[in-house]
Formats: sequence, C-alpha cells, structure tokens
Amino acid sequence: MISRYSRRDLIRSLCGGLGSIGLAGMLADEQARAAPVHTVGPHFQPTAKHNIFLFLVGGPSQLDMFDPKPALQKYAGQRPPSTAGFRTERVTGGLLPSPFEFKRHGQSGIEVSELLPNLAKSIDDICVIRSMYTFNPTHTPARNLFHSGNIAATRPSMGAWISYGLGSENQNLPGFVVLSPGGDGGGLWRAGFLPSEHQGTQFNDAANEPDKMIRYLQNNQLDQQQQRRQLDLVQALNREHEQSFGADEFLDGRIRAMETAYRMQFEALDVFDLRKEPDAIREEYGHTPFANGCLLARRLVERGVRTVHVYYGPGQPWDDHKAINKELRGRCPDMDQASAALIRDLKQRGLLQETAVVWGGEFGRTPVSESGDGRDHNPYGFTMWMAGGGVKGGMTYGATDEFGFQAVDKPVSIHDLHATVLHQLGIDHEKLTYRYAGRDFRLTDVYGEVVKDILA
Amino acid sequence: MMKFWVLLLVAVPLRAQPVNTEFFEKEIRPVLVNKCYGCHSSKLKAPMGGLVLDTRSGLRRGGNGGTIVVPGDPKASRLLGALSYTDAQLRMPPTGKLTGREIAAFAQWIEAGAPDPREDPPEAATPATTAGKGMDIDSGRKWWAFQPVREMPEPSVKDAAWRRTKIDSFVLSKLEASRLKPSAPADSTTLMRRAYLDLTGLKPSYEEVEAFLQDRAPDAYERLVDRLLASPRYGERWGRYWLDVARYAEDNPTSEATNPPYPFAWRYRDWVIEAVSHDMPYDRFVKLQLAADQMPGVSRQDLRALGYLGTGPVYHKDARLSKDVIETLFTDDWDERVDAVSRGLLGLTVACARCHDHKFDPIPTRDYYGLAGVFASTVQAPRPLNDVDPETEKRFMAAAQRMFFLNYASNLMRGEPGTKPEESFQKADKYKAECESILAGMEPLQDSHPEMYTYLSRMVPRQRPAGQVAQAVPPANAPPPDPLSAGTQAKAPAPPQQPPPPAQPRPRQRGGSSTEPFTNSVFDAGLWVDGSDPDLTTLDTKPGVPRDLHILPHGNVATPGDLAPRRFLAVLAKGDPVFHQGSGRLELADRIFSDAAPLAARVIVNRVWGWHFGKPLVATPSDFGTQGEKPTHPELLDDLTARFMAHGWSLKWLHREIMLSATYRQSSKPREDGLQSDATNHLLWRMNPRRLDVEAYRDSLLEAAGALDAAAGGPSTDLDLENNTRRTVYGRVSRSNLNTLLRLYDFPSANLHSPERELTTTPLQQLFVMNSPFIQSQANTLVKLVDAKPADAAPDRSATVRAMYRRVLARDPSAKELDLAISYLSGATLQQYAQALLSSNEVIFWP
Repeated sequence: MISRYSRRDLIRSLCGGLGSIGLAGMLADEQARAAPVHTVGPHFQPTAKHNIFLFLVGGPSQLDMFDPKPALQKYAGQRPPSTAGFRTERVTGGLLPSPFEFKRHGQSGIEVSELLPNLAKSIDDICVIRSMYTFNPTHTPARNLFHSGNIAATRPSMGAWISYGLGSENQNLPGFVVLSPGGDGGGLWRAGFLPSEHQGTQFNDAANEPDKMIRYLQNNQLDQQQQRRQLDLVQALNREHEQSFGADEFLDGRIRAMETAYRMQFEALDVFDLRKEPDAIREEYGHTPFANGCLLARRLVERGVRTVHVYYGPGQPWDDHKAINKELRGRCPDMDQASAALIRDLKQRGLLQETAVVWGGEFGRTPVSESGDGRDHNPYGFTMWMAGGGVKGGMTYGATDEFGFQAVDKPVSIHDLHATVLHQLGIDHEKLTYRYAGRDFRLTDVYGEVVKDILA
Repeated sequence: MMKFWVLLLVAVPLRAQPVNTEFFEKEIRPVLVNKCYGCHSSKLKAPMGGLVLDTRSGLRRGGNGGTIVVPGDPKASRLLGALSYTDAQLRMPPTGKLTGREIAAFAQWIEAGAPDPREDPPEAATPATTAGKGMDIDSGRKWWAFQPVREMPEPSVKDAAWRRTKIDSFVLSKLEASRLKPSAPADSTTLMRRAYLDLTGLKPSYEEVEAFLQDRAPDAYERLVDRLLASPRYGERWGRYWLDVARYAEDNPTSEATNPPYPFAWRYRDWVIEAVSHDMPYDRFVKLQLAADQMPGVSRQDLRALGYLGTGPVYHKDARLSKDVIETLFTDDWDERVDAVSRGLLGLTVACARCHDHKFDPIPTRDYYGLAGVFASTVQAPRPLNDVDPETEKRFMAAAQRMFFLNYASNLMRGEPGTKPEESFQKADKYKAECESILAGMEPLQDSHPEMYTYLSRMVPRQRPAGQVAQAVPPANAPPPDPLSAGTQAKAPAPPQQPPPPAQPRPRQRGGSSTEPFTNSVFDAGLWVDGSDPDLTTLDTKPGVPRDLHILPHGNVATPGDLAPRRFLAVLAKGDPVFHQGSGRLELADRIFSDAAPLAARVIVNRVWGWHFGKPLVATPSDFGTQGEKPTHPELLDDLTARFMAHGWSLKWLHREIMLSATYRQSSKPREDGLQSDATNHLLWRMNPRRLDVEAYRDSLLEAAGALDAAAGGPSTDLDLENNTRRTVYGRVSRSNLNTLLRLYDFPSANLHSPERELTTTPLQQLFVMNSPFIQSQANTLVKLVDAKPADAAPDRSATVRAMYRRVLARDPSAKELDLAISYLSGATLQQYAQALLSSNEVIFWP
C-alpha cells in the first residue's frame, strides 16, 4: 500500500492546520505550565538561587585542614583531663598532632594547611565555620542527619525540601541533581514524604559522557530525526485518544512530559558533556570523578538547576581510621583543586554571588589517635565551609576547644546550617512545612537558628 | 539588656501561653532535666558550682557564685546571661547554647515570677509527667472514627432506576443534593478493561473482549467479576496492595553487618498472595501477621505471615557505639513497628506520641510506650517451616538469634581489634566459644533436622584462635553483610582440630533469596542493651521474658520516666488495657479486632474503596484522627463497613459489592458540569480516570508482547535482568537501592508504611519509554509475534497493524489510526511503529 500522507501532512493533521509550525513549536508554551505545582517559597528576597553541596563522605579531618591546634604538639601522646569526657566510637589513644603546616593566606590571613594550596588562594571568598557539631557518631545516621535533619532513613533530603520550596528554573532538567560515582548512598537524596518529583536525580560522575551518567538518556536505535518522527506519531495517537476520551490532566501532562524528555535528551547531552569544556577550564578542575562533579555542578547551576550535591566517594573515603597522614596526602590534592576551581570559576562567571556553596562531611575527626596513626569519628566539633550566595568571605566563625575536640565558641548545629542555607535561598525554615502523618514536618524539625553573623 | 529580651520574646511564638505550672512543665523542666541535672543535681556528691537545679529551693538559693534567678526580674537573673552566652564568665550549658526559643522561655518564666511546682525534698527526675499533657481520653472517645458501626438506612433518591446496589443510594442522594447527575455507564469494553485491571492487574485480550461483547445475558458483567475474583491473578494484584501497607521489602535501609537482607522475605510475599487469593477473612489475615505463632491450630505454612514483623526495617547497630546510642537505634526500630501497626491497621498516628502526648489525638505517651513494649519484647529470627516440636523450634530461634550476634561481635573484634588487640582477640574467642557451645547443644538436630543444624553451623565464626593469624578474617565492615553467608568467612582456612562445616551446597539463588525451608519471622523475647563493657555494647535477649519500656520524654533514652506496661491504646480499649501474655502480640491482634474492630474495619474498607476508585472516601487513609480528612460519604463508609464485618470480613464480598454498583460502572469521561462544581470528584459524579501503577504497566507491556511468564510464587528476581518476564510483584524490592523502574513509577519507599501511592508523570519516565532496552525488547517481541508469516508472503501492513492493535489495546484501529500507521511505516520499521504504539497514552491509561 502506498502512503497517502507525507510528513508535512502528518504534521498538519497533528496541529489542526497550523502547518509547518510543528508539534514541538505548538507545545513550547506548554513548557511554562509544566512547573511543579507544590512550590511554597520564597518567603523573602533571597541572596542565593542555587545550592551546591560538596560532601566528603566519611568525615574529613578538620585538624589537618582548617583548624590548627598547636596544643596537640605540646601534649602529643597524652590524654589531658579535658579530653577525658568524650566518648569515642572506637578505642582511642593520646593526642595526635597534625604534621601539616598551617600558614596564613589572603587578605583575611586565615590559616589553612599545606594540604590545601588551592583553597588557600581562594580563602578570601570562603567562610570557615570551625564550630560545627552534630548529634550522632555513626556514619549512616550522621549522614541522614546531615541531609535531612534526622537520623532516620526516611525524611526528605535538604535538596528535596528546596525543590519543594522553590521549584525548578529549567523544565528540561531535574531541579535536584546528585553527582556521585555509583552507589545509592542510602537514599540521601530521597524525597521522603514529599511528592516524588522533588527527589534528587542521581548521575554517575565517574563517567565523562552523558549517556553513561543518565539511564535511558539516549536512544541507541534512532537518530534525532527518526526519533522526532516517532514521537510525532506517538503524539498524534495521543491526540486522537484524548479527543475520544476528553480533556484530562494526566493525558495532557504525559504529552508534555514526553516533549520535555525529548528535549532533555539533547539538553542533557549538552550540559553533561564535559568534553565540551575548554581544555584550560578542564585542567583547572582536574580529571577525577570529584572534578567532574564540581565542573558539572557549575554547568548545571548555570542552566538553572536549583540544587546540586557532589559526593566525594564511592564508599566513605574520608573515614581515616588509619594512616591518616598518608591517606590525606593522597586524597586532598584533587579535592582541593576541584573545589577551589569551582569557586574561582563560579566567581569569574558572576555565579558565586547567587550560589550557596557548602563543603563538609557527616562529622569531623578526633584529636586523639586511633590505631596509632588514625583518627576516630568526632561529632562534637568540626569544620565546614561555605562560600557565595550572600555568605561573607574571608572569615572564620566559632571555635573548638584547645585540642579541637568540641565546638565551644558559637557552636553551629546541623540544624543551624540547614536554617542558614534555606535563609540564603529566601526560605524561612520555620515556614517551610509539609503536612504528613498528622503533623507538619520541617527540615529543621523544632530546631535551627540562622547564623546571621556569617551573612553579608 | 531588657530591650534584648523583649526582642527575643517578640521573635518567638511563646507569648500566647500563660506562664504557669504547665508552662514550667512544658518549657522549663524538660530543659533542666536534659541539659542541667547532669551536673547540678541534689543527687550528686558534689554538684558543680554548688548549684542544685532539681529542687525548687536549690534553684532559688543559687550556687557558690550567688543567686541565679530573681523572680520577676530577668535582667537581674544571672541564669539568663549564662544561657544566652552573653555572660563572659559563665556560659551554660557548656555543651552548646540553648535555642532562642528555649532561652526566651526562661526569660518569660522568670519575668512571670519563676513559678515552680516542685516540692522539696528533692524528687527523682520523673519527667514522665512533663511529657506534655495531651487530649483527655474520655472526650477523645467521642471522635467519629471510634464509634461503633451499624448498617444505615438507605437514603431515598429521585432517580431510583439508576441504583444497582445499596452503595448507589448513598452516592446518588449526595449528587442529587448538589444537583449533579451521575455519568452514563461506561461502554462494555471500557468496563471490562476496568474490571480486569482492577482485579488482576492485567488487561483482557482481544478475544476476551469480543466474547464479552457477544454475551447478551443480563448477568454477563456479574459473571465476569466472579470469574476474575476466582483467578489466581487476583491474589497477585490485591496481595501487592497489601504489601504497600505492610512496607514489604527484602532488605534493610542500609543492609550492613547487623541488619543484613532477609533471604526468606519472599515467603511472606507468597503467603500474602495466597491468603488474599483464598479470601482469608481480613481479621484473621492480620492476626496471623501479628501473632501466628501464638494462635491455636495454625498450619506451618501460615507461619510465613509473621514476615510482617520478621522483615520489618531495622537499622545497623555497630557494637562499638555507646549503650545510649544503641538503645536509641532500637527505639527507632520499635517506633517503626508502632507506626506501621497504628497507621497501617488502625489509621492512627500513634508515633506522634513518642516525645510527648499526641497534640491532636487522644494518645498519651503511656500508650505509645505501652505499644512499643510489645515490639521490645519481640525479636527477629528465622523460623523453620518444616514440622518441628514447639520446644525445639523455640530453642532453634533463640540460638539463631544469639549466634547471629555472637558471630557479628566476634568478627568485629577479630577484624578490627583497635588499640587493645589482646582484649579484642580474647573477646572474639569468647564469643566464638559461646557460638560453638550453643551449636554443640543443638547436636541432636543433626539427625532430626539436618537443615536446621546446617543453618546454625554456618554462624560459627570461622577464625583461628587468637595469636595465630591475626589478619585471617576480613574486617567487619567489609562487605559480608549477610551473616548467613559462609562465603567471606570461609576464606580463612578452618583450624585443623575443627571439623569443616558440612559441605552443603547453598540453595541460595538470584539476588539473595534463599529456598531453604525457613521464613523470616519473630519470637517472643525481651531485648536489653548491655553497656557494662565500655568498648563493646552487647545485647541481652531473654526468650519468653517480656520487656516493659519506660516513657522517654523527648524520646531521650538517657532520661527514662515512668514505666509504661505493655498495653492497648486507652482510647480504644474496653476494660483493662494491659497485656499479660508474653510480648502481648496476640492480645494486641485480638484487641484490634474486638475493642477496635469498627476502626480497623473502617480503615480497610476505606483502603479497598480507594484502590477500586483511585481515591478513598477518607482522603487520608492512614490518618483517621483529628488531623486527617473526614469521609466524603460517612454513612456509606459506615454502612459498607458494618456489612463487611457481617459478611465475615470478606474482601471478595467487598469487591463484588463495590464493582456491581452503578457508581463503579460509570464512565470516567470529563463532563463540563461536573468539573465546574466538583473538580476533584468528591461526589463521585464519574469514575476517576487514572494512570496505571508500575505493576500493571509493566505486566501489561509484557502481556502485549506475549512475553509474560505467568509462573506464580517463588524467590524474587531482579527486574533489571533482561530475561525477567515474570509479573512485577515477583521482582526484588529493596529498601536500600530500589529498582529504577519501580522508583520512576512511584513505587513507595518500604522504609516505612506508605498510606497510598502518589502517581506522578515525569520526563524521566518518558526517557524510559523512549529509550529503555525493556520497551525496545517488548516492541521487538511484539513484532515477531504478529509478523510471523512465510517470508515470501506479500507484506500486508494493515493486517500487521491490526494485529498489533489487538495485542496492545485489545481493539481494532480506527481508519485514522490505520492511516497514521501506514503513513509512518513508509519511512520506519515495524519495531519503531510497535514501540510508538506501546508508548502511547492509551496503554498506560486506566479509564
């Protein structure tokens, strides 16, 4: 049988006489309607539009990077009375000094260890919070706390809360993107009880090519034109069907979602394709999975993605129970290079002022030794840093005790940190609530105070 | 300074409360208890700074530095400077500043004269009474959901001819009151497709549709419903609904050394499917899941029901954590059980009463901990399915549970000896020796139940004694999360004096499921956490001894309050609520279906209604409390519930009653007047059109391609496997790493009870449709199925397209659709066309 329809006719039949405008054109205005409907914010003028979260899985050592403690040298190997009250997870010995030299850097003169020469150069853009503390000494619950404000593996991740609060700026990409070399991470980017559209979408940043990062991103059988033609047919069938059934939100929504997916294939192909970065930029970041993650994070916020989590994994590499000095020497260079490159790059593009960058792990490490040359988990006091999105650069905030065991000056809890990030994004953490199982839930539960002193 | 406090007060929402004794109990005392008593208690030999805060006089007197509180004068009260960290010499508590809200509460309290109801002499810290007073039980009993149910008189309606069952009169009378007409009946094809999907999760074939259209008998539809209810596919469909309620999965949120996957979870899933298939009365169905081991006359196969508790999520508990942390993790496990049971079976959010009395429902913390105690007296262990005498069964389960812990602790001490290796190795040896001695005590099993003996023998740590080869065993955090797997531990050669383990091939297969004759289950045993060894927190399980819990204000295990004996919820209980037999599981099950029967029945009837209609009558199916929604049709819900109970709690009766109604048979097409006045269709002026859930979607794609494997039951398989063509209900369900397809299509997280699924429509779903090998494979299979003809025959595209329509949509294409197909095929392959057809909306739509 010979076809009675040309492609042009087909399109005309789809578009009810609109001719060559094509279905995609006709649907373009529907993109605007596809915005998630659950958004509730912002509550006030934000200082940041995006959040990038650099997460060093396992608990990086503050004592070897950002929190110099000369007293450790003086009391090396001893266990002074003031350290006696802290229960450690494993058996620990005497105080273990850091072998790494700290020097003052930048205008601010903040002390940074020799392990981090690149971050040291950007220190005037960074606010080092030396008085973080958290509530659980074990990895999984502590990571849950860090991500969701609760130790249980059920509550929504901060990224999901932000997506719920603010929605997405780019309908062709997910609003909450997770970059992690493999592994589910125990569902740290879960939507929990929030609508599932807010769940983080994970991409494997161990790869360089988009189709290896995103499941089902590419059609391995059809080229773009063939795929468009196939989708045109699907949509023609869908229009036929909707005509016989009647207008319906789901049927309509699926037609739109298909168009978004079709475009996402190419948008994502572009945004996730790190080979498109100039060599000079690529070199600045480096070539490790974490470097891929940092570089992708910039490309994603540039395109309006709300939240990007970058994980330094897989597993929990920063969990240095043994041979910490050797391990840090091996692991710090690429972390330092990529995270510093991210700050510089964001700044050069004018994006740093609208992006809240947070760096840290689920807890810090003890000043006392474990297994002779390692450090145990330390939830009592540790360091995180923030940059951009209205945070003051070149400052330190709070302090740990003489040995770096416990936050004593201006302690900042994990809830305070959440409240602060939400504040940067224009969200009042006490107003961002979701009714579930009979009550209103918050990311910060009944806690959290915005750390106003670090905001410009 | 005063100004500062005023500002603070404005900033926090405390002002509405009167500052009185209750304010003290709610705002002040909990902080004193949690943050201050540790150093400032009259019980201490030397309270810090000579300051005592657990008595009224102590607080008024102050410490070595003088008074700290001047009633009525916050500015002069040194306490506030200390709390707000503005006093350079004194900052309290030293562990971290209180929240602004807490500090403001202290300011407000002092301002009001620091009312303090505490009596001297010093009391024990009994914060139980401070946990916040909730709703009065007696007035709480008046809530609608707690009332008895009774059959309701049928309302009169104008359009009496429309009515088919009693349901219709309730619906129609409301519609008529709102001047809305019901919709016309759905056409036969749509109705048939609806019924098939509803009861079996599969679509009818073209031939079945044709036969139904030919059947002119007035009871054709009724017979169809009966036929579908009798189909084995029915159990697979409705069993899966229950598995959402039961948060069924085959592993744990993290699946680490102490919370490995459940290799026999699939047996529980199969039991649910079989029980639902056989229309087991709902009350018995649930009771078996809570207490099959304690009910008389229960078959061994029905013991699989205990997987409801036996595969519940548990968190990892590293034995090197402190007693308090481990205890807290256990209270989280118990909390999950309280939540699953109360929301899942009773529609009550009892877990809200963990930290304080429920703010909105009549559920005090005493009831919460009374229920939690049932689960603190219930321990997970594998249960043999083979015939075995009760005594041996008990000993086996206790041994399996104990050996599991010993194996873990021994490997931990051996693999990560820390800085005191000598001590650690000694402990490792001690635990290993205990394992061996337990196993020795089970020797007689070798003859009577070799499978049980083999199971236990695998749990003896296979290590050399201390001092021989220190590195023989991999560290405990290396991946042997499955303690049952001998694999990793067997790498260490067994010492020569010990006989090698029985060389039984492991009957384990595909993704961690095991076909050994065991089932993941529970037994009665109280569980205590032993913190006497500061380096290693151990567990003390006492078979047959229940454990009552103390009320824990704010959920804090460090500050236990009054004891809360195991008991049923006071607001639902008739007579003495306290449980007396063992853990109390059987009494709990009995109470749910006696004292609380009307509520339990309302909850399931509402769920079943929701699964049929896409929307339940009570829009919050797991919250029938004051924060939940009220039923849209309360009389209908009560009437249906009363009749459901009268019909022996038969779900099949309920399905029939619902599906034969005119309400159910309505068309789902949009109607302008209906959308205008009732857009959300509360009044049921039409059937709700829906998207297919992931199970029905995947299964019907496989069915369309002729690829569906109809085999029932058995171990789970990974849905990502290319050759997995079994029904989706038999796919592996993970808590830690949910399958991509399931996650894409809104399968609920099994980490906790899921009230209902939220069906979304997202671009990532469409990427799956456009690009996944699964869809491509179905398209190819479909083409092979319909295009099978001699190679030399002239291709008849129309016939092929027609055949595809019949397979995929159980109908013939319209002329327009045929034209579109032919036109498309002029430049594309049949596979590409087949995929387009499989991608179309009609395939995933459930009108």
